[in-house]
Amino acid sequence: MTENEKKRVGIFSLTCDEGCGIFLTEIFNRKLVEWLEKIELVYFLAIKDHVEIENLDVALVEGVVTSERDKALIEKIRANTKILIAMGTCAITALPSGQRNNFNINQLKEIEGHLEKYKFLPKALSVKEAVKVDDEIMGCPIDREKFINTFEKYI
Amino acid sequence: MHSCNLDVEICKLSKIEGHADLDIKIRDGKLKEVDLKVMENVRFFNQAVVGMQYSAVPQLVSRICGTCSIAHLTACIEAVEKTLDIVPSRQTVTLRKLTTYSMMIRDHALHLYFFVMPDILGIDSLLDVPEDKHDLIHDALAVKEAGNNLSELVAGRAVHAPYEQVGGFSHEIDEEKIPAAVEGLKKIRPTVLKLIDEFSKCDWEFRRKTNFVALTTDDFSFLEGKIKSTSGMEIEEKDYWDHLHKVVLPYSQATSFDFEGHEYMVGSLARMNLNRESLHANTKRDAEKYLAKFPSDNVYDNNLAQAIEILHAIDHTIEILENTRFQKEEAAKPGRLTGSNAGAIEAPRGTLYYALEIEEGKVKSMKLVIPTAQNLVNMKKNVEQIVSGFCALDSTKEELEKNIVREVSKLIRAYDPCMSCASHFLRVRWK
Repeated sequence: MTENEKKRVGIFSLTCDEGCGIFLTEIFNRKLVEWLEKIELVYFLAIKDHVEIENLDVALVEGVVTSERDKALIEKIRANTKILIAMGTCAITALPSGQRNNFNINQLKEIEGHLEKYKFLPKALSVKEAVKVDDEIMGCPIDREKFINTFEKYI
Repeated sequence: MHSCNLDVEICKLSKIEGHADLDIKIRDGKLKEVDLKVMENVRFFNQAVVGMQYSAVPQLVSRICGTCSIAHLTACIEAVEKTLDIVPSRQTVTLRKLTTYSMMIRDHALHLYFFVMPDILGIDSLLDVPEDKHDLIHDALAVKEAGNNLSELVAGRAVHAPYEQVGGFSHEIDEEKIPAAVEGLKKIRPTVLKLIDEFSKCDWEFRRKTNFVALTTDDFSFLEGKIKSTSGMEIEEKDYWDHLHKVVLPYSQATSFDFEGHEYMVGSLARMNLNRESLHANTKRDAEKYLAKFPSDNVYDNNLAQAIEILHAIDHTIEILENTRFQKEEAAKPGRLTGSNAGAIEAPRGTLYYALEIEEGKVKSMKLVIPTAQNLVNMKKNVEQIVSGFCALDSTKEELEKNIVREVSKLIRAYDPCMSCASHFLRVRWK
């Protein structure tokens, strides 16, 4: 496969612990060399500096959309990718990283100043709530076999 | 020396864990200001745990950080156990050591091969190594995989390990799988020795007098011991908080700390400076000439120290696995359900401290001290020294900008900062 025919893949972390991204690097241990025959990693800040969000074939997104900055980023990713895959329970259900959605009044009072100062959204959104998602991989972190099966459908 | 005003912006420093900004202002050719800002969106764990049943808290705080989830899990379990008089069995302690070693192997390998090695080779990403150096990718993946397999064997998974719980482990180790795990570790040992040699040859140097702080353990197992500093302090784990002062970083979604009124550094370099005598005998034998470099105040020796810690984790794990019979055990039970206490462990990036107040089995409050947060003041002062040094040189504005960006990114990466923990990617913005 020539460089031009390789699928352009981006891996993105919104607000979360990056556990799915890190676990993905563990899935890479046995699969990366094989996948690199078929894909070009164009965005993965964990392992490269020169990144671009344009003309993507597959975007893998972990985390929740908790701030205006997250929202702008996920909208940019959506507008620039053919396939968007929500990766992990945060991206699918907004938990655990959006746990503030379930806070009681006392807990909310403690955090309201921070929410305002850093332009948080009224509620943390899952990636699914924020934009159209083409596929999803459950797990906290993602399940290895499910990831491989889903990802390989698109590359 | 030139008298320029320089405003540079680098968005999202890569090859670290998490997001942060660094603003640097140069006016009339002199450094005016360095602002290190952790821009990771806070997820409010301190508030979320209030009212939770004690046994559920460690698995939740594991979600603070993907890469060192095992450290949060283990430190929080220790704090719960000390608070509620739960005494873990010897076997549990041994399994926790193995779990911690599995994390150190894969977490340090990710940092050294994927984050730092590209700087040494002058490339953007390890994936870009030339054909004749492709072995490096295979080495990186093999070392990580050995750590990952050990996590799976002992704790169920490398990220958010399900078996490690308050009072014990929920699953027994499958003894049939031990020989393969030992074999895997023995296979990567020469690779790790090669990595150590590689980092010992790295001539990067940055020195600035500082204090090093680490929890020192008698078998270098990262879990139980006394907190010591190179300034000569020796304190109990539970008293650590009393020696720290919060430092507020303006505009940052994190706070930092000083220790006894001064900035300090935690992490592998601190451990190697304070506790290298306790390394495994096989590690000391085979890494003797590299260990002669310590104590060291060269920040870049943090990379070498991490490589040596991988070797130690392998050597001690092999010894434990080859000499221990594991058996089924019940979880240790609490002696009381109300109290307050604290626990500290050494996470990959340094001392991690959890303090809890529990009432009738429910968490009333939680305080934590994160390794990267402790290093932020030291990191900022190092950046100031680097920038001032370049400002004093006779260079063009473009050269100045290029030099600063390159050296500052490299230095910050040597700390292996984790912004997910400190509250996540470093975005460097220069004004």
